[in-house]
Amino acid sequence: MVELKVDNIDCYYESTKIIENISLHTQTGQFVGILGPNGSGKTTLLKSISHTLKPKVGTIILGDQYIYTMKAIDVAKQMAVVSQGSTVAFSFTALDVVLMGRSPHLSRFAIESEKDVAIAKNAMAYTGTLHLQDRLITELSGGERQRIIISRALAQEPQVLLLDEPTTFLDVANQLEIMDLLKRLCDDKKLVVVGVFHDFNLAARYCDSLILLKNGKIVATGNTDILTSENIKTIFNIDTIVKQNSMTKTPYIIPLSISHAAPKRSLTVHIICGAGSGSSLMKQLIDDGYNVTAGVLNLLDNDQETASFLKIPITTEAPMSPISEVAHNNNLQLIKKADFVIVTSFPYGYGNIKNLDAALYAVDQGIPTFMIDEYAYLIGLQDYTKGQAQEKLQLLKNKGITSVKDEPALLAALNCLAKKHAGHKTIAPQPVTTVIAELPEEVSP
Amino acid sequence: MLNNLKSIIVKKLNSPQKAKNWRFIALGLFGLLICSIIFSIGVGYVNIPVSNILGVFLANIPGLNRLVDFPVSPLETALILQVRFPRALCAALVGAGLAIAGAAYQGLFRNPMADPYTIGASSGAALGATTSVILGASITVLGINTMPLFAFVGCLLTVFGVYALSRVGNKVPVQTLLLSGIAVSILFGAIVNAYHSLFPDQFRQTSFWLMGSFSYTEWSDFWNALLFIVVGSVVIYMFSRDLNLLALGESESTHLGVDLERLKKILLVASAFVTAAAVSIGGLIAFVGLIIPHLARLLFSPDHRILIIASALMGATFLVLCDTLARIVIAPSELPVGVITAVCGGPFFLYLMRRKKKVDAS
Repeated sequence: MVELKVDNIDCYYESTKIIENISLHTQTGQFVGILGPNGSGKTTLLKSISHTLKPKVGTIILGDQYIYTMKAIDVAKQMAVVSQGSTVAFSFTALDVVLMGRSPHLSRFAIESEKDVAIAKNAMAYTGTLHLQDRLITELSGGERQRIIISRALAQEPQVLLLDEPTTFLDVANQLEIMDLLKRLCDDKKLVVVGVFHDFNLAARYCDSLILLKNGKIVATGNTDILTSENIKTIFNIDTIVKQNSMTKTPYIIPLSISHAAPKRSLTVHIICGAGSGSSLMKQLIDDGYNVTAGVLNLLDNDQETASFLKIPITTEAPMSPISEVAHNNNLQLIKKADFVIVTSFPYGYGNIKNLDAALYAVDQGIPTFMIDEYAYLIGLQDYTKGQAQEKLQLLKNKGITSVKDEPALLAALNCLAKKHAGHKTIAPQPVTTVIAELPEEVSP
Repeated sequence: MLNNLKSIIVKKLNSPQKAKNWRFIALGLFGLLICSIIFSIGVGYVNIPVSNILGVFLANIPGLNRLVDFPVSPLETALILQVRFPRALCAALVGAGLAIAGAAYQGLFRNPMADPYTIGASSGAALGATTSVILGASITVLGINTMPLFAFVGCLLTVFGVYALSRVGNKVPVQTLLLSGIAVSILFGAIVNAYHSLFPDQFRQTSFWLMGSFSYTEWSDFWNALLFIVVGSVVIYMFSRDLNLLALGESESTHLGVDLERLKKILLVASAFVTAAAVSIGGLIAFVGLIIPHLARLLFSPDHRILIIASALMGATFLVLCDTLARIVIAPSELPVGVITAVCGGPFFLYLMRRKKKVDAS
């Protein structure tokens, strides 16, 4: 099998260095993904490998030859390239386009033989496009066209296939189909596939090995384990949560919005939450500059994972265990220090009923306490404590907990209150209803 | 209807039956060309029946003259062999040349709007040719007239200039190509007109030629241009598969082994060769290079191996018929053939623009 070896290459456009000291050794049947932000040199690297941009320093070996000593047509016999977003200028039929892949193997005046047609049709059958052979390439959908272009590359009978963002502009079903196809090429046909990708989840799921680029340099290279929060932060400057997809056993990355530095407030919000009900509020409040605390959360709970990711102080309880007296008291300590309290947790069972007691404590302390209508309704609907939760809920309402319509209304109310008390160290209890009345029209409940 | 016809032809022309079916179509187009030439010889101020035309030809082919058992009139013989036949052949040669050059430009620029006229090549050739007249350099050396050489130089410089002007980064966008081509055409047209005002004596005969006309064509014109057009066309045809690959995109074609920069240079020079020779016989004939390759692509295949031959045959037929029309429409006077092709081509060009817009919008 032909191997592709890139050793310590530097590439320049004019006098600007675009990529520096990149190495890549591939093995038969390997699916390599190149990831990195726009302008990180991904396409340049691919151009360099594809015999288009000669590196100033370093070597690229295809098979047993230095690639830049080979003729373009000889490279084309071993390596096929699928460029980014290419369009075909005239209305060729799909089969005609695929047959063009045979061109490197034909002499100038030769006409495609039956054998060439058979190879082209095989390639189309492999990509599931044989039924499109008589259709005009200009009339095909994006996904169909991309598969025809890949068939054309396969008709070259290459051993190395390079692709520049082959899934851009495609819908999710087509993205998966293309990636499945590329993976099959590696597994069945033992091709080396090197692709530039934008979607790290897609790359993580299909690629055997990855190269992470930033500013033309390799940040990390190796198998998909290199997709850590830290590495992604380094190259994209975004926060992410990296989990494992339990079905595919590959890393699964959830990007969070770019952390923008909101002016820090001296106010603390405590969230009584659980089972993921408080996660989005935690993120939004942090983004808005509040100090956030939460409790009581069981370990391994979704909200607990979010809180630990956001580095929020919380009180915790062991997994699957009822809230102990100790945890409850710790929670009350956090509440005492908070300027606002929000209750989102539901449903209630004997395990977490103490969280409603904590809410009652907050109201009794005169701390402005909020609850979202929908959750109050759900508490009524899913009460696993034979009415105890409902009683406590009623009590909360009687004592003056503030009900708000939804999260945006809640955030608006908090921001309104926070503005009123800007500069004040302590917050005197306020008749919250007046605050709500002052809210702008569109967010008032 | 055109689409139905097209889908039938696409199936018929698809590999591997392509080559076989294609031969019949080429043969049919060639037959049409022959018929159009005979028609062109037959009609005019004096109409000549087909039997007499065939008789004259047979009588003048050594060895076959025994077959002609009726007398052929010397007047008809002279009219056919000295006037109408060379003129029809010139029209056919120029039509084929312009259509081939058009197909090459369209393939090279990956743009169906390109043709020798719209990208300024024709005007460049005309400027070169007229400049040679002014300089008194239009002389015959070793039996070859130098005017086509001047036309060639003018054409080549113009094409490279327009190409360089309209290139944005790595691409040649339609708008800039057409705009710079048209701007250059107008500029050169103005210079040529200025020549006419400044040197009326030298240009008494050529003003009609500039509008596109075969009125003064003779055998010598045909033989002068033949070599240029045949050599240029053969070179273009040699690179027809490369033109196909280029349709996939510039970088794609290089990844399939095409030496792109070399291809561009060779094709620009070869097309300039063909355009210059065509212009030096027929003058400025618009739109043949635009509509003929387009029609051939629509009717048969965008495969340049087919397209170039189909364009040549269709272009030749089209221009022979247009020239015939130009002769008879206001007989005994003549219209410049450029007027006829422009009347046919202008609306077609607008139709292409509209269609392109729709495609871009959708």
